Amino acid sequence: MKEIGLHDLDDLALGSVFLATGGGGDPHIPLLIAREAIKEHGPVPLIKAEHVSDEAYVVPIGSVGAPTVSLELLPSLDEASLVAAAGKGLPVIDGDGMGRALPEAQMMSYAIAGVKPTPALAYDYAGNQATFQTDTTEVYERHIRSYAMAAGGMVTTVEHGMTGAELKQSVIPGTVSFSVKLGQTLRENRGRAEALISPLKDIFASSIYGECRLIFQGKVTDKSTRIIGGYDVGEATINHFDGAGEPLKISIKNEYLLAKRGNRIVASVPDLIVIVEYETGTPINAERLRYGQRVAVFAIGCPKLYRSKAALKAVAPRCFGFDIDYVPLEELHK
Amino acid sequence: MMIGTTQFTNAIIERRELSDVAVIRIGLPSGRGMPPMIDWPNDIKATFGTHIYMLHGGYLYDGWPIAEMREAEIKAVIADISRKGIKNIAIASAFSPMNNAPETQVANAIRNEIPDARITLSHLFGRLGLIERENATIMNTALLPFADKVVSAFLNALSVRGLNCPAYISQNDGTLMNADFVRAFPALTFASGPTNSLRGAYKLTGLQDAIVVDIGGTTSDIGVLQGGFPRESNVIVDIGGIRTNFRMPDILAVGLGGGSKVSDDGSQIGPHSVGHNLVTEGLVFGGDVLTTTDILVASGAAEIGDQTKLAHLPQKTIKCAEMTLHKMLNDNIDMMKPGGKDMPVILVGGGAILVTQGLDAASKLHRPKHADVANAIGRSTPREDAIAQITQAAITRAVDAGADQNTVRTIDIEETAIPYMDEGATRLRVKVIGELAS
Repeated sequence: MKEIGLHDLDDLALGSVFLATGGGGDPHIPLLIAREAIKEHGPVPLIKAEHVSDEAYVVPIGSVGAPTVSLELLPSLDEASLVAAAGKGLPVIDGDGMGRALPEAQMMSYAIAGVKPTPALAYDYAGNQATFQTDTTEVYERHIRSYAMAAGGMVTTVEHGMTGAELKQSVIPGTVSFSVKLGQTLRENRGRAEALISPLKDIFASSIYGECRLIFQGKVTDKSTRIIGGYDVGEATINHFDGAGEPLKISIKNEYLLAKRGNRIVASVPDLIVIVEYETGTPINAERLRYGQRVAVFAIGCPKLYRSKAALKAVAPRCFGFDIDYVPLEELHK
Repeated sequence: MMIGTTQFTNAIIERRELSDVAVIRIGLPSGRGMPPMIDWPNDIKATFGTHIYMLHGGYLYDGWPIAEMREAEIKAVIADISRKGIKNIAIASAFSPMNNAPETQVANAIRNEIPDARITLSHLFGRLGLIERENATIMNTALLPFADKVVSAFLNALSVRGLNCPAYISQNDGTLMNADFVRAFPALTFASGPTNSLRGAYKLTGLQDAIVVDIGGTTSDIGVLQGGFPRESNVIVDIGGIRTNFRMPDILAVGLGGGSKVSDDGSQIGPHSVGHNLVTEGLVFGGDVLTTTDILVASGAAEIGDQTKLAHLPQKTIKCAEMTLHKMLNDNIDMMKPGGKDMPVILVGGGAILVTQGLDAASKLHRPKHADVANAIGRSTPREDAIAQITQAAITRAVDAGADQNTVRTIDIEETAIPYMDEGATRLRVKVIGELAS
């Protein structure tokens, strides 16, 4: 893939929201913004991280805040990285710092590989700006979170500025083009989960993710979440359609983090747990998951970088308050 | 007299009877370059005049103003609307379900200058999601003059026939609106079709909690009655290509009806159907397509058309198709059941005769007489704690709309929390229903 054009955007949004494991918010508004920007400025060139020169200066642009807020506090057309790139005529790197969704800055692959988040710049809906210079990523996370809350719940950030050489060490590669491919697969195979699993297995097998399994199908019989420590924390229970057998319980902390049947762990963070609408395969964000919905649950291996010792210090189940060790998906299902 | 209507849905889908609208969004400086109707299909935008204005103001999730309202800005907008002679005005402001002051302030200023303005305020459509709420508000506003026409014609038709009873139209969730309410909120009738069939099943059987299977020519539409009202879906609803957040009944459509095609061995039914052409294409009618109706006739359960045309069908195919049909219904009913509970099933619709055996998924099978006629009233998804003040406001509105004070009860409480924010804002939406005041 050499560029992101208008016709790629729907697939990009669909694929990204699947990889976001319930977090990250509704893609509709970012999609509208990207569409307007590309209409105005034309397609955005996409380049592979390996083709970036070691001396190049690379800067990730994104948002920090609560996805629910952006349902009301609309972003403006001068924000977001695809838009920024379109406006400035710059290429976008085919990759990102997560390859899924995770809630905090120190969980990003950039931080794990030792890239500093600051100097960083953030600005809000009104164009108010703040700059950050912090010792550690953990402190940056605390400060940027407070700023986001003070600024209406959502800010645009420019952070983790790095060289091309650092990028190659820290990026999860290929995730933009993979999201488009994944979105296309979901669109072309739209339908019941049993039919979707085979094309999904194929596309993940040849990617940085590897394993993809259909771990459960049924209906949501309970879901409750509360705001604790700035997170949406809770649990969803999914029963088989005929009500028989042990239900699947999903622990939620913005994202779907842990899937259990009884005491048996079926999948856990940093591997991906994805809930989709049973009849269409459309991913369901955690805030839209509700009682009575008919769903299928997929589990997908995380990008290899997240299985290193250094990475697990930041993203293992214990980092989210679950008192268990991480066991990779494929070992859980041996 | 109660009726459902698809007039307003059809007007949107067919892009007709829509009046010119002024759209005012209050939320600057957020959303710059993202004006209202940015995601509307071009063909509908072209059918009626839209005049878009964006004002400073609105609130953040925590009640802090996004920006101060600007008197001069508001005056200029009203002057422009006045000059253009537009009477139908839609107003939406950021976080108005939590704080509607900006919407009411602008509406009052408009009424001072344009006394005959017809204004829809987005907070009356509830729910978070500015774009979806605003879209619903604009559609409603564009339908206001048509709603006048429809309601007047309806009332007139009644009085011509000497009927002086109160008139009601059913809305999306199965509750009823009186004539004045419909004039103000025509968009709330968008889902009255499927809602009516669910409410009708309730009326015919008196069963408050049941699965309703409405079998037609092409599909079986399966819905759930909870407390006598349809269970709602949470999915974003597209109406005529426009994204809204109306709540619609949760319906599972299965490709199984009287005209569904059956494979030669009977193991596969639908989703393709001969539809209305059943009477020419079905085997019993001299056609050459094996349909579920042919299977029904071949099994001896019904006498339709020319049975001799089925003589060549192997018994094995007939038995297998019957099994496939019942299994499809059982599996899909199981999917719609709340929890693993046993529930009665109500069969309605012209295709209900296809079910010749019992359904294992049903604790009891009901086949009401007159099963293909239906009409409406309310809905429910029980929730926890209520806040008295909000409930009271909801009751007042329900009584204004024609409900009997003594029968009004709370049926839905929706909490919307903002994740990532400590002590973040939580929005509460309470729904109450009551019987019609007599």
